[in-house]
Amino acid sequence: MTVHDDPHPESDVEDQGLFSLNESVSSRAYVADIWKRRDFALSLPIEELQSQHLDTFLGNVWHLFDPVISAGIYFLVFGVFLGVGAEVDNFILWLVIGVFAYDLTASTISGGAKSIAGRQGLMRSFRFPRAIVPISNALGHLLSFGFQFLVIIACTFATGIGPSRRWLLLPVIVLLHSAFNLGGSFIAARLNDSYRDMQEIVPFVLRLMRYTTGVMFPVETFFGKNALIDFVVRANPLVQLINFYRWVIIGTDLNIGLSALALIESFAILWFGFRFFRVAEYKYGKA
Amino acid sequence: MTSLSVKVDDVHVDYEIFSERRAGLRQRLVGGKGSGQRVIKAVNGVSFEAFRGDAIGLLGSNGSGKSTLLRAIAGLVEPTSGEILVSHEPKILGVGGALMLDATGLKNIKLGCLAMGMTRDELAEKVDEIVEFTGLGEAINRPFKTYSSGMRARLLFSISVSIQPEILLVDEALAVGDRNFKDKARVKIESLLANAGTLFLVSHSTSEIERLCNRGLWLENGKILADGPIADVIAEYGADT
Repeated sequence: MTVHDDPHPESDVEDQGLFSLNESVSSRAYVADIWKRRDFALSLPIEELQSQHLDTFLGNVWHLFDPVISAGIYFLVFGVFLGVGAEVDNFILWLVIGVFAYDLTASTISGGAKSIAGRQGLMRSFRFPRAIVPISNALGHLLSFGFQFLVIIACTFATGIGPSRRWLLLPVIVLLHSAFNLGGSFIAARLNDSYRDMQEIVPFVLRLMRYTTGVMFPVETFFGKNALIDFVVRANPLVQLINFYRWVIIGTDLNIGLSALALIESFAILWFGFRFFRVAEYKYGKA
Repeated sequence: MTSLSVKVDDVHVDYEIFSERRAGLRQRLVGGKGSGQRVIKAVNGVSFEAFRGDAIGLLGSNGSGKSTLLRAIAGLVEPTSGEILVSHEPKILGVGGALMLDATGLKNIKLGCLAMGMTRDELAEKVDEIVEFTGLGEAINRPFKTYSSGMRARLLFSISVSIQPEILLVDEALAVGDRNFKDKARVKIESLLANAGTLFLVSHSTSEIERLCNRGLWLENGKILADGPIADVIAEYGADT
């Protein structure tokens, strides 16, 4: 047993290797720490998918039904009632791709906004890079998207197109799309942690985006009157990201310049979002 | 040679309390510091050094800052000012630490271990041992939300000690376990101390602190009132209350 009445003489004390837990580590070390816990980041959404919807009769099938029903409604409204379908080749497939790809972004970002609040217990009990929380949220939605992609493949065969060599580019497109979604999640997660009002605002932002990114009708149809608005809408990386999928699967036109811009924008958003999220690293899960 | 494991230097932790609800946009934009916002000085200028082999019992009344100090040492709360240095990443164990409520106890063990940075291989190696240590039996396959507070504490304790932490911070977590589990926990903590680890224990049971600790820290209103051998500090604390 050590007696502490007398302060330890300096010479006796070996205080080498002491460090502060509150000092920000370099981005490189931070990313390395995330990579070290990659099994954790992946286990979280898998566990969640398994325990979700256990109380509903159809269970996880809802992950598939949900966007399929949405696509059906949009087909009815925009394809049948408004006649948008006449202007677009292979409208059903074009619509399904748009709805599914947009849903991946919308669900990832709105889930990301709430992810920090939803993992309070875990964050109070364990110390780990907090970026894992929005990352695992994004991975979870990506897994669901994987299942949804089976519907896209089925539609492809049903409309007699079938896979082409361009499909080999899909992983690159998914990666680019994920960079955008993750960047957006990081920003939404931090804003939502500081201002809970954010979770009321996010759905409106996502709804505005849904109508301006050419999910249910081509952006060209509706924005041709003003050159500036036209450019702003086309320069939205999400418009091009959705178009990438359509280009690969249906063969829609691709604008090289805008596509390159979307690539730069997506990674810029990821970079900015990551930095923005890290600023408040030590504040997450403490309120 | 004695070696430092935790160095706490003039640490302050302030909490901003909003009188009604959490800060909304409106409050942030127009309210500023004045509107219903109060500052609570949970830890108010604490300094001490802890060494390997120290088992420090924290004494003090409710709201004296014991838990906040532990959470600050664990790196879960950032000090408003001052500095905390550690030799190893501390592992904190508290009541009400919830993991995934809908998942089974077993899945929570797996997630907890991965969260602490174990690899899948290490986990596979250790999981049976951890399950065994919890002593939860068949209940390990039941959802975490069905557990009693005692069962939750057992699960969390078992996860936390599975990595042999060098610095273990225990916040009332043993109080809810049954007698049998408390004995097992004590053996585990003693083996930790034998390996020159450092323990911080917050408990309302003075006898538990006396049994497990060799040094006492008495906190009141966020300040240290006494620091010394456990028997002396308990005597002083007892005389005051």
